[in-house]
Amino acid sequence: MTGWRKADWLTRSGLVCLAVLVLVTVVGTVFGIGGDPDAMVGPRLAPPGGEFLLGTDELGRSMLPRLFEGIGTTLLLSTVAVLVTAVLATLLGVAAGYYGGWLGEVVLRLVEVLYSFPTIVLAILVAAVVGPGQTATMCSIVLITIPLMTRVVRAAAVTVSERDYVTSAVISGAGWPRILVRHLLPNLSGTIAVQGTYALSVGILVEGGLSFLGFGVQPPQSSLGALIQQGSTYLLTAPWLVIVPGIVLIVAVLAINVFGDGLRDGLEPREARSLV
Amino acid sequence: MRIPRILCAVAATAVLSSCSAAPVSDNAPTSEVPGYLAVADEAVTSGGTLDLQMTVDNGAATGLDPQLADVATSWQLMSLVYETLVTVGPDFSIEPGLAESWDNPSPTEYVFHLRKGVTFSNGRAMTADDVVGSFERLLAGQGVWKTQIGPVEKVSKVDDRTVSVTLSSPYQPFLASLANVPAAVLPIKEIEDGSVDITREMLGTGPFVVKSHRQDVSWQFTRRDGYWAQGKPSADTVNIAIAGQEQARMAALQNGSADLVMLGNVDAPELLNGVRGTAVGTQATTDFYYLMLNSNAPGGKFDDPRVRQAINIAMDRRAIADSALGGLGKPTGVTPAGLPGSCDPAQVPSAKAGLDRARQLLREAGAENLTFELAAYSTAPAPAVAQVIQQNLQRIGITVNIEQLDEGSWSGKVYGEVPATFDAALSWFAGYADAAMVGKWWNPEQAGFNVGFMEPNAELNTAIDKAIATPAGPERDTALQQLCDAVDTDAQMIPLVTRPALIGYRSDALSPTLYATEGYGNVLRGIADFRLLTK
Repeated sequence: MTGWRKADWLTRSGLVCLAVLVLVTVVGTVFGIGGDPDAMVGPRLAPPGGEFLLGTDELGRSMLPRLFEGIGTTLLLSTVAVLVTAVLATLLGVAAGYYGGWLGEVVLRLVEVLYSFPTIVLAILVAAVVGPGQTATMCSIVLITIPLMTRVVRAAAVTVSERDYVTSAVISGAGWPRILVRHLLPNLSGTIAVQGTYALSVGILVEGGLSFLGFGVQPPQSSLGALIQQGSTYLLTAPWLVIVPGIVLIVAVLAINVFGDGLRDGLEPREARSLV
Repeated sequence: MRIPRILCAVAATAVLSSCSAAPVSDNAPTSEVPGYLAVADEAVTSGGTLDLQMTVDNGAATGLDPQLADVATSWQLMSLVYETLVTVGPDFSIEPGLAESWDNPSPTEYVFHLRKGVTFSNGRAMTADDVVGSFERLLAGQGVWKTQIGPVEKVSKVDDRTVSVTLSSPYQPFLASLANVPAAVLPIKEIEDGSVDITREMLGTGPFVVKSHRQDVSWQFTRRDGYWAQGKPSADTVNIAIAGQEQARMAALQNGSADLVMLGNVDAPELLNGVRGTAVGTQATTDFYYLMLNSNAPGGKFDDPRVRQAINIAMDRRAIADSALGGLGKPTGVTPAGLPGSCDPAQVPSAKAGLDRARQLLREAGAENLTFELAAYSTAPAPAVAQVIQQNLQRIGITVNIEQLDEGSWSGKVYGEVPATFDAALSWFAGYADAAMVGKWWNPEQAGFNVGFMEPNAELNTAIDKAIATPAGPERDTALQQLCDAVDTDAQMIPLVTRPALIGYRSDALSPTLYATEGYGNVLRGIADFRLLTK
């Protein structure tokens, strides 16, 4: 509660938006509001209103349950991918920052190679190798978000590992697992959390972009990107197919970024950030 | 303050939506000539550059030898250069091509009288030797179309302008089989003396010659002087751009950078409705979608005919036609709906059985809760067809995971290995101009391309041969129904619905000739007549 009180209104708004999105999706999915997202229940391209609150798509499927499914898919895929990224980036960043030397150089060169690929080109490459679908989407998000997070974690690890308490621990004979668990990770957790939120918003956009190009989730499963892709053909004749998932995508990314900013301000005040 | 604004935006969307809902297309071409969607205005001066856009360039797959061309998109391109003895007119009638007439003295004998003044694009006159040599090359070659030509026993030159073909047994679709590009008359003299490599360059009697080709990017054809049809072709140059994305082709049509484009989205008439200067024609084709169930699939998923029959029973062809094809397709059996004598798909065994029977068959085969992968093109409207199939099968407890692939990857997956390793796949066949022709592909020993995923069925082969050989009449109708029933029961390749062809063109820039029906996937059949209004 203290954190909530200390947070500014923008951070609170972001958190509320995210919570509402997640809640609405969970409730809509669990209680089957709007029916089966894959069932062809209505006329093709029916406008919003009446029986179909958000209209129907080109196969006569109600857009409301498809939107619930789409939000869920996008958030879940992005979250899982970002968690994987966080674990890998932390391992690589700490290894590079704490041990340095050739290991640090190898890790840095590796992430620089990944960083040199344009985001969407890398995602398409992954989809071509793995095959289109959820696995390709998650692999893409991980590979796209890992370089930035690794570099930031490494930079923070370098700073923390030079602190006196770490030096004292080394002199007193503490092993690397103890140093890692007791000293490094607790002091890096704020950085990882903040970077995690940014990676999440990037992940959502990558999922959207990949699905928009047809390499993401496969039909009939929906995601925000897939919904926008399917609706883009009908932008002028059935705009509800694009506008609603488009707005949700914008709100989700904006809310995560705003929340991430607040989290950074709370966990890494400016004076602390300057040390990193 | 922000929430009400968002609500306002959503409300505005709803209002906008209701305004634009259910548009009625008024951009369909209207022709008063029966059998045509549009007829070119001959009063318009010849000349100009025609810009077209197509979905795919299959040239790399089989090379440029027309006898090896096995997909409709290749036939379409090659038809600008190559011509056949006979051609198909509106309503699938067989019309003169390079043969100006023919006699049929007996059910097994055809005598073709060649047209005067026909030359190849190198200036050499076409002779009966070219016709005889083309037949012999086709029959001796590896092209899949030799299966369709039928039991040709002897081809002989009667004189310089007359060729006689003798069949070993009656073969009803013989003329229709000659109306497709793989049966084109080739420059045999040049092929034999090695002055032309037909697999790398095109040399035909058609209205155009190839000027340049960049694989998967573009083709450029130029008008050929000395073409046998007076005053044709009308256009000086034909540029064909390969544009895989539907939206890109639509945009090209809208901004005028293309005069004519092939469209896949069944809502294209509505989407382009109101776009000034555009028209969208819908050809009723005999092409049809079909579902392949791999009898060699890993785990033996489909080697039990009861499983395949259950899947066939669960297919709701009307739902596929209405939902995925916007009502533009028609349920069909293996004899394509719309062709004379084709069977009624409502009368085949699977159409008379209910979903309970399908579930029972699955139980008996021990295949309840079956799950399989369905490979489908990513080109519209195939993904939509795949999704309706998925919904159909969900009703009997079968889970289908759809895998969308580009056409190249799809072909590699389906035809790349023998025995094939995919589970199921969705594709379409051109339905041609005779109801029994496409049925020949259900005999893998003759078709060849499906030997990796289809087991021969003796009963089915008998039905195919009978339908092919029986002359038109009530007996043939019975034979065609028996063929439909046999294919339906075999259920290794399950016919679904006919596939409409949508053609968008600039009505303010182009006056095209478009047939209302088509059997060989050749939208450009009338291209020699196209007139450019503004160039």
